[in-house]
This record gives sequence, C-alpha cells and structure tokens, in this order.
Amino acid sequence: MTAEEQKMVDIILRLIRKTNVTIDENTLLVSSGLVDSMALGDLLLELEDLTNMRIPAGKVRPKDLDTVAMMFATAARVGKPQK
Amino acid sequence: MPRYVNLIDALNAAPGERPFITYWRNEEEQETVTFGQFRARARQQADTMRAKGVNRGDRVVIIMPQGISAMTVFVGAMVLGAAPAFLAYPNDKVEPSKYRQGIAGVTANLKAKLVVVDEQFPEDMLGHVSLSDGCAIRRACEENDAGLVGAVIDASYPADCVAFIQHSAGTTGLQKGVALTHAAVLRQLEYLTQTLDVDNNDKIYSWLPLYHDMGLIACFMMPMVYHVPVVMQSPLDWVMQPETMLQVVSEHRCTLAWLPNFTFQFVSRKTRPSRRARYDLSSVRAFINCSEPVRASSMQEFQEAFQACGVKAGAFKSSYAMAENVFAVTQSGVRSESGPSRIWADGSRFRNSHQIVPVANGTPDAVCFTSSGRLLPNHEIRIMSESNAILADGMVGEIFIKSECLFEGYYNRPDLTAQAFVDGWYRTGDLGFSLGGELYVVGRLKDLIIVGGENLYPQDIEDVVASHPAIHDGRVIALGVDNPDLGTQEIVIIAEVENEELLEKSQEIEREIRSAVAGGLGVSAGMIFLKPPKWIVKSTAGKPARSATLEKLQKEHRELRIES
Repeated sequence: MTAEEQKMVDIILRLIRKTNVTIDENTLLVSSGLVDSMALGDLLLELEDLTNMRIPAGKVRPKDLDTVAMMFATAARVGKPQK
Repeated sequence: MPRYVNLIDALNAAPGERPFITYWRNEEEQETVTFGQFRARARQQADTMRAKGVNRGDRVVIIMPQGISAMTVFVGAMVLGAAPAFLAYPNDKVEPSKYRQGIAGVTANLKAKLVVVDEQFPEDMLGHVSLSDGCAIRRACEENDAGLVGAVIDASYPADCVAFIQHSAGTTGLQKGVALTHAAVLRQLEYLTQTLDVDNNDKIYSWLPLYHDMGLIACFMMPMVYHVPVVMQSPLDWVMQPETMLQVVSEHRCTLAWLPNFTFQFVSRKTRPSRRARYDLSSVRAFINCSEPVRASSMQEFQEAFQACGVKAGAFKSSYAMAENVFAVTQSGVRSESGPSRIWADGSRFRNSHQIVPVANGTPDAVCFTSSGRLLPNHEIRIMSESNAILADGMVGEIFIKSECLFEGYYNRPDLTAQAFVDGWYRTGDLGFSLGGELYVVGRLKDLIIVGGENLYPQDIEDVVASHPAIHDGRVIALGVDNPDLGTQEIVIIAEVENEELLEKSQEIEREIRSAVAGGLGVSAGMIFLKPPKWIVKSTAGKPARSATLEKLQKEHRELRIES
C-alpha cells in the first residue's frame, strides 16, 4: 500500500466511525455497505487532495470507488491536473 | 383559465429555437436541446410507441436513467394520449430485493401497455416487471433515438384525459399511483407560475429525480408548458459531488431552484470554505425549500456559507407540496425581502393542548416554526381535529385540502382513495396550523407520540438527543411505542454514537440524554438504545427510516416486546 493509500484508509476509518474494522487497499467499501453514497462526496474531495487532481463531475460512479486501489486508479484515469 | 388544451398543445406552442433542457454532466459535457428538437424527438418516440400498439388511454412505464431520452419517451407517450409513469432506476442505494418487490408491485397495478427501459437495464430485474396481457418491453437506444424526426400526431384530446401517473412518496412497492389530468396539471402550473412571477428571464436548476413530483412538475412540466429553460444534472452525479450544484448555477446563471431541506445543509457542509469564492449565486431569486419539513436553521446555514457568493436572504422560499395535488399547495412570497416567516410558540402549550401561543424568540422552552407560505389561488385548507371538527387559527391538527388541482383517486386503488377523502377534502396525513394566513407544517400524524395525553413531535426529541456530543447528528430516531402496563405510549430513542468506543460509556451517555430530554421537553424518555455507527436503517433518500429501524430493533430485542 502506498503512503497516499494509507492516508485514504485512515480517512475512511474516520469517516465510517468504526474502530473494529480493518481496511486495506482492496477492501470492498461501497458494495459491502461500509461506505454509503452520501459519504462518497467526502471521499472524492479527499481523493482530489491526495492526488492533486480534479475529478470531473459525471465521470465517476460509486463502483469506481469500491476499494482504495480503485479510487486511485479512477483518479489516474479521469483526473485532470488541479487548476 | 389555462391557455392550452393540454400539455402537448403547450409544448407545440413553444418557440422552436429556444433552449429547453440542458443536461449537465460536467463543464465539458453538456447537451442542450431546443424546444423544437425536443418536440421532434418526442414525436419520434410517439411513432415508435404507436408501432408497439400504444394508444390513447394506455399506460407506459419508463425505467430509464435520468436524461433527455427518458424525457422524450415520457412526452412521446403523452403525444399519443397515453399516460406515462417514471419509475426509479435501480441504484446502489436501494437493496435489490426491495427494488424488485417495489417494481413488481407498481407495474402490476399500472397494467402497462409498454415498459421502456434503457439498454443497460439489468435482465434479472426485468424479470420482476409485471407484464399484463399484451404488454411489450422496449429497450430504448439513445443513439438510434436521437436525430430522428417523428410525424406530427394529432394530440387534440380533451384536457380531462389522464396526462401521466406520478407516485406519491411511500415505502417502495406500496407507492400509490396518482393519476393526474392535463387540466389539473395546467391549472397547477398556472397558479404556480403566477405566484412565482415566472417569466422568460427565468432559468431553472435541478438535480431532482423525475419520478418525484418536485422534479417532474416544477423542473420538467413547468418549463415545458411555460417555455422556460432548465439545466439538469443527474441525482447520482449531484450526490457524489454536491458542490456541482453551485457550479451549474454559476455557469448558467439559474434563477430558480427547488430543493428538499437537507440539500441546504448537505451542500454547505460538503463544499470546502476554500472553494466557495469561485461561485456566483447572485442570479438565484428563489431557492424553494420543499418536500420535507422546512427548517429555518438549514437555510440559515446555507446563507452563511454562501453569503459571499451573492446569496440574498430574500432568496429563501418555502412551499408545501404533494403529488396528490399535482404539486404545490402553498408558496411563500416571492417578492419578500426576507425568508419565510418564523414564529416562536410556547412549547408546553404546543405539546399539551396542540395550541400555538406566540412568545418572544429566546423564551425558555419556545419552539420555532417556519412557514410554508400562503395558499395558491383556488386552494383551500382546513385544520381538523381527531373528531373531524374544524379547528381555529393557531390550533394544530391534520391538514385537509381542497383545490382545482386535486387528484381524483389512486390509480386502480379505490380502497385507498376512499380512505383519503372526507366529504371531498383530501386528508394529507400531515399535522400543521394556520396563522396569519400562512400554513405551518409540523410533522406527520402517524409519527406523533402521545405520552399521558401530551403530544410530542419526534423531531423535537431527536433534536435534543442529537445535541449530545457523543451522538451522531442526524442519526437519531424517537418513536412512540405502546406500553400496555401504563396504558399509554412511551418514548423509545434509538441513537447512533459517534464511534464504537463510546458504547463503553453507554450508561453515562444514556443518563445525560434522559436528563436533557426531561430538562428540554419536560417528559421522561423510556427505553434508550445506543447503537454503533451505521446501525439505523436509512431510507432511499438517505434519511433515518422509522418503521424499518423499529423492525430491526424488534428483531434484535425480542425480549423487550417492543410493539408499535
């Protein structure tokens, strides 16, 4: 796991308010119900900060954020440099 | 009187070159259709549906992702004189089993001639769509449908024909189909546009789903009939990036937006202060808070967050609306320089005698109410007691309505229709009061908790509990459950703690919550259940779902014999 991925894991743990859960870069987040759709906006903002990329609206679906690894892959695929 | 014979007549009268719908995905991907282009695509859809055997009076079910294609199918069905109905597209917020159950129930009741889905609609879900005799399924293909021009079809049917069926809020599967005539919709739109002073300079912003009355009527039918441009984005895109609402409004200089109450807090909290300066919201003359209990504090939070973006205090409006009345029943004054009226009332008199006795802001135990505005023209309300007596101004009771826009009944459900009307008045199931010519909505009748003759509103209890620092804001449910030993209801509170570690301090937190409820509302809480994060069941709209959470509680605590 990269340092950025570890930071995202820490953010997710804080966001979901659970202490007895272990998350790695491949843990299913959305499809498992750990993260709900109302929290995806927060994750996208954090992802933009961690990657220094801008994620355009309409380019990402919840399934694209199902794991931490997928989040960073999605940012690499659709992200644009921050203005 | 409405100027048009029916809704299609209104669309046909629109200037062909005027922009109608802009579908916004991001700053680089936007599709705009003019009224002329939309008309042509709707006629093409009508041609296709006619070839599938759809005729006047038939029902057409549309289960497609939100977009211009789905809207042209909807209007295409109306061109033929058929009654279309949008149903929600499957998404990850709804459990597949619940969705399947819902889709089966609703489609069985509608007995549609045609079900239109998109190319990606899951095959296994399609198996749950109830098909009546002679019903066909069509997979609409956006690429094939775009660009074709259909023949002009005679749409000169009378205004008393059913225009479309919209579904009232309710548990999926038990949603009630509300059949609305062209005449009722045209009258509603006439009153609404008059009240809001809608004109050619307006432009509407919407992220609202089209299967909901606020999205369908205010943000699709109203623009279509009054030839006003609308800029839309998908609800899913918006919920994933709520800040895009600000971007769309800024880019397109929108002037009107209908929003449920939670949006005001959600957008404020999900937009970083450092990014707010890039938006200009000064074009908006009305943010209309509608379809949920209106909270002044939510609008205030939004105003404080975006004041520097040009948001004016007078831009905040409120409305009380429901599918059964096509849409709006009331609307707060659009020319007012301030937001909706507010009133502070004596909390004890409110709870004990259902009476509103105004007190000064800041008075201990005062309860604040926000007005939903004044009645639309040709609308009447009555506030009724439990014994069906008409109550005076300032008394809280069930809201009954009568209007020229009211539906005639639930589709294929005479049993539900009979329960819904009393002497021609529609029982809304909502509690409220009239004061100074304005309507204040208090809550749902079925949620009212009555403890020893004292009336308690769950929201008041939930607000007190949520103010405890260990409790997660917005994740509290207060319920009234029967206590046979006491012969009355007792208050049951279910609350999620901020994090699981706090459960070790349950006793202490419970004690503090009891004390806060007793101190704040003068009543004793019964059972308090502190639960870990994400325990409370949420509705498809993301809000705590009372009945589903109670069901979960009953299963988990059978020993307590909790009964609603």
